[in-house]
Amino acid sequence: MTLVCPICREPAPAVTDRFCELCGARLHPASADVADRVEVDLAGLAGISDRGHLHLRNEDAMALGRRPEDGSATTLAAVVCDGVSTVRRPELASNTAAAVALDALLAGGADVSGMTAAVAAAADAVARLAPGVPDGPSCTLVAAVVDTATATITVGWVGDSRAYWLAANGDARLLTADHSWAAEMVAAGILDAHTAMRDPRAHAITRWLGGGNAPEPGTTTLSPSAPGVLLLCTDGLWNYEPDAPDLAALALPVATRDGPRAAAHALTAHALDAGGRDNITVVCIPINSSGGSAA
Amino acid sequence: MTFTVEVDQNTYLPAGVGRVDAIVTVQAPDTPVAAPAADGLEIIILDCSSSMHGDRISAARRAAAEAIAQVRDGVAFAVIAGTATAEQVYPPTGTATAGGRTRAEATAEVQRLRANGATAIGTWLTLAGQIADHHGADHPGRLRHAILLTDGQNGESTGVFQSALDAVVGRFTCDCRGVGTDWRVDELRAIASALLGTVDIVADPADLAADFRAIMSAAMEKTMAGLALRLWTPRTARVKFVKQVAPTIEDLTARRTESGNLRGDYPLGSWGAESRDYHVCVELVPGVVGEAAVAAARVSIVRGDEVLGKGDVLAQWTDDTALSTRISRGVALYTGQAELADAIQEGIAAQERGDLRTATARLGRAVELAQAVKEATGNDATARLLAEVVDVDPVTGTARLRAEASKAARMTLDSRSTVTVRVRG
Repeated sequence: MTLVCPICREPAPAVTDRFCELCGARLHPASADVADRVEVDLAGLAGISDRGHLHLRNEDAMALGRRPEDGSATTLAAVVCDGVSTVRRPELASNTAAAVALDALLAGGADVSGMTAAVAAAADAVARLAPGVPDGPSCTLVAAVVDTATATITVGWVGDSRAYWLAANGDARLLTADHSWAAEMVAAGILDAHTAMRDPRAHAITRWLGGGNAPEPGTTTLSPSAPGVLLLCTDGLWNYEPDAPDLAALALPVATRDGPRAAAHALTAHALDAGGRDNITVVCIPINSSGGSAA
Repeated sequence: MTFTVEVDQNTYLPAGVGRVDAIVTVQAPDTPVAAPAADGLEIIILDCSSSMHGDRISAARRAAAEAIAQVRDGVAFAVIAGTATAEQVYPPTGTATAGGRTRAEATAEVQRLRANGATAIGTWLTLAGQIADHHGADHPGRLRHAILLTDGQNGESTGVFQSALDAVVGRFTCDCRGVGTDWRVDELRAIASALLGTVDIVADPADLAADFRAIMSAAMEKTMAGLALRLWTPRTARVKFVKQVAPTIEDLTARRTESGNLRGDYPLGSWGAESRDYHVCVELVPGVVGEAAVAAARVSIVRGDEVLGKGDVLAQWTDDTALSTRISRGVALYTGQAELADAIQEGIAAQERGDLRTATARLGRAVELAQAVKEATGNDATARLLAEVVDVDPVTGTARLRAEASKAARMTLDSRSTVTVRVRG
């Protein structure tokens, strides 16, 4: 069997021990720093990040929080990131970005300017991981901050990780617009959605955190008039189930009956059953239109 | 046979920094298998130019006799008398095998030497090279060693001398000694450096015999020749330098010969049961914070293609400045001692050409560095040699060249500037 160096991607010509003979990279790095599956349940919001069936490690990351931390929380926040797999140490970028953005969201205002500042802080932290490294760590990001007193949701994103509003009676919808080649072709009116998605470049992202980028995030706000579930996810889920009504049908009944963690379970299991080719990360936040989260 | 190769470094680098420094300590086995006597060759090269007249030639004769007495039975040897040409004193051609009779014959021939002629060191080296080749060309494992004694400046043009020196590199090793104060330290240092030997001053001819005895005795302790340090570096790396830093400073960077993909060999000369330190400095493309340590350089000690020992220089990047700002004690002290040697040599050279301002500045800097070495190691050998040449006002810190300093003191300081204090731990 020919070994291939994970960093320089060259076949290792004479691997005698633990370093690549061309670039010096450790050939069998300890991978214990990333778990195969993480579940977080903060009662009011919950998330699951799963390695999936085919990838060797989970390069997605998520971070969830509430402020204040006791039951009277008025601010909920969550961040989901997907490491760009063609660069070095993508899981480092996704974990760093998720942690930094969450801290900023919980410390700042639950509005668009707070969101923009949080994304900028995350981009800065990822850039500092490897200054001057051309293929340094990079990732996508989708984040939400919820003011439960007013049931106001602010969403921000960079890349192709998504936020959905899952609600009954035909109100379910995608809240984000992918920063991807296909989406931009469609948005610019150059290609129709079907043709664009069949192009090999369809999933190439056009904005990301890392590599010295200061990407402008997409942002949107929402004040739902009826209860529902805010879903943040990576393409490990939406590649299998892209349409909001289908996702709502999977998640809403479970969320209503057993809470957000059960809903996240159901969505993750759906992606794993469908093939689990990519890492899967799902965060569910039930929202009461009448003010305050549903939990 | 197993050499121990230990690496002293701080593997942690701050983000964006690619320079990796490491001190590599190479320890030969404690009880090396003695080389078969017939493998060895000793050549004694004596300056017999007119300036050697009087005390010096008689001291050189006694010293040569002492050296001959130290040559172990069975080892090949030869004696060369150097003037404008090189004359083989003993045996008439080729080499003799050390034994009671040959030692006596050689000693008798040496006693007949007279001082008369010019100084053409290149021709002496050329003859020594021919004798070494005769002894066994292309056997890199053979120990071939020379002692060269002179008392004056070389009379050859730089070009003639340099091409003669270049031609003998790798054919034998050579320890050089200057007697009196009319020779040039930089000339002998160039020879010793190229031929992987030592240089020193013997200011008083009366001390020559003891010195020759010590050199030959040390040479007899060598059991392995033709060793090399093989350095692998990743394909995006640049080797900034490879220096021997103990027991003396010797920059090996330009001595590299390619020995395979991403590999180069640096000659280490002959070894006995000893230990030497090397400073390896490599410039990498900075890596990613948090990634597993990568191999920045891999060092092996080789004889031909036989690997006798190896060690790895690593690098990993961190945003924890508490980790990345630590400097290994070895790297710090040897870097200081290398700068000390440069400051001494530049200061003395400036003084010789009459540039007293530069001389004062450089030797003043040397005093500071020597004081730091003394404080870190307790060894004040260089500080004491410096004190004979330069004064530093303890209050103002102003350096002043000592007008009364002897030429011998300056030459001793210069000759021994590359001798380092060993760093441990």
